Amino acid sequence: MKQLLRSAASLSGATRPALWRAGWSLCACAWLWSPGAQAAAPPRTPAAAATPEAQTPLGFDLPGYWVSIVTQNWRFRMVVPLRGDYAEIPINLKAKQFADAWNPAPDEAAGKQCEAYGAPAIMRVPERLHISWQDARTLVVQTDSGMQTRLLHFAPTAADAAAFASASWQGYSVAHWEVHMAPFAGPPRAGVKPQRQYGGMQVMTTHMLPGLLRKNGIPYSGKAQMSEYWEVNGEPDADQWLTVTTELQDPEYLQTPFYFTSIFQKEPDGSKWDPTPCSLTQ
Amino acid sequence: MKHHLVASSLVGLMLMVAAAPAPAQIDLSGNWALLDFQNSLKAGPGPFPISFQGIPINKDARAAALSFDNESLSELQRECEPWLVHYVIEGPFGFRITSVVDNPVSGAVVGWTISGEVYDRLATTIWVDGRAPPPPQALHTWGGFTTGTWHGDTLVTTTTHIKDGYLERDGVPSSNQEVFRMFITRHDDLLTITGIIHDPVYLSAPYALAQVFKLSPDANPSTPAMHCAPELEDTRLASGYQIAAYLPGQNPALMYMPQHYGIPLQAALGGVQTMYPDYRKTLESEYRRPSKYCTQYCCDRGFGGVAAVCKTIN
Repeated sequence: MKQLLRSAASLSGATRPALWRAGWSLCACAWLWSPGAQAAAPPRTPAAAATPEAQTPLGFDLPGYWVSIVTQNWRFRMVVPLRGDYAEIPINLKAKQFADAWNPAPDEAAGKQCEAYGAPAIMRVPERLHISWQDARTLVVQTDSGMQTRLLHFAPTAADAAAFASASWQGYSVAHWEVHMAPFAGPPRAGVKPQRQYGGMQVMTTHMLPGLLRKNGIPYSGKAQMSEYWEVNGEPDADQWLTVTTELQDPEYLQTPFYFTSIFQKEPDGSKWDPTPCSLTQ
Repeated sequence: MKHHLVASSLVGLMLMVAAAPAPAQIDLSGNWALLDFQNSLKAGPGPFPISFQGIPINKDARAAALSFDNESLSELQRECEPWLVHYVIEGPFGFRITSVVDNPVSGAVVGWTISGEVYDRLATTIWVDGRAPPPPQALHTWGGFTTGTWHGDTLVTTTTHIKDGYLERDGVPSSNQEVFRMFITRHDDLLTITGIIHDPVYLSAPYALAQVFKLSPDANPSTPAMHCAPELEDTRLASGYQIAAYLPGQNPALMYMPQHYGIPLQAALGGVQTMYPDYRKTLESEYRRPSKYCTQYCCDRGFGGVAAVCKTIN
């Protein structure tokens, strides 16, 4: 855990927002109170059982194929919005000036077609996700639209951080299980075997290349930092829903943190997977 | 012997109960301000006319919505109707959540009440004490009847017994067969509500929406009891024999989205296909972005002081 916090600190430094600090503290507390932490008390469980993959919260059935459900902000997501249509995003004057002057042609010529598919935008792109474990502590999130790959690192090592020190479209993401010991449940009782708890995932992302929140030029900067909460919820008729709640902070282009959600529905297989390259004009 | 067996069983049952984890509830109480960065245009000024894209409506719902005239809300018998329970994630307001306890001594939480909006939406109590919903023929109301269970940190709610009403403020209807499910999850000082609307009468797939709220002790949402006295707002409806509606094929706003945003009419008319990414292939050949610069609601999210700044840079 100390290594985890050191990694985060080395990445975000003193500029990390208060919510992030609270988030990391929360994660630390959650881990200490988590069944996994309790299970780690003597006698110790086999090492394999302590991996992030093995500690997946109950009901958090993330691996598989998911499809975007575009019921909100449709005209900003399904089509390239009008020039000057900046509704719903708390941009500042500098962002407006940037967007008003932005033109896709030079960026496409410069090979920057994927600037509208960076981490702050990718979850709202109409798409399918393929989520799998690369290893026991790394989740891979692939998209068919834009053919992007996000790596979500649990318990990252110094080598992980070093490998992602340079900025990229998807940046560097550190993940935690968000599993709370419910406050009304009381302390663990002797003789009661800890059980896996329901829960979700929190992801912090930094080291992103500057990009676009919308294909009409609304920018985010390289100073942006993103915090996400991932929830998987099931219905009695077996529909599985993934909701990702995102908080984006950008001191350069946003007046306030920008909050939004992205909803996905689980699909039985990858038969509708349709890889499509990035485009700034479609 | 029977008594011994019964006694043993009871002791065993008590031990099992004692050993089982206590029911867990996350404290949801507090004032929650809406962080509306994805629905403020629809929740504030209202949806654009005939903009059903992304809503999985069927042909019956489409026909009803195309006949809808906003003036119908000024009919005396409709003026004081609140929006339905799902407006909690479609409306422009936050809310206060308070716990409902069975008695002051035990303090056991048996429900959570989401406050209403002044005149827009009634309060909703989510019963978490295991009570069953009333029988199907029981009274249907704008608020419906809601029960909930905890799945870890998430309160999963189910609302039934909802009256006929509107799914959206542009006249997309919802029926009294609607089932509204919410997944309410608290993440520290944020609250995410994912709402799934099922309506076998008007929807051909579940309609999924989500909103984010922030714990704001000073938000103090205004929650007086709903009060409304109908009065004549539209003289055309004064006779009491007039209703505001469009006959088939006569809605004058049919081409609003194609004309203002270049959205193809077939997309604006909605349907399940329009909410999936595959529909972008259809749009590739049918959508041409208008060359004009945005002229309405371009930078006004209606969020506190930020909206004012947006207006100044328009």
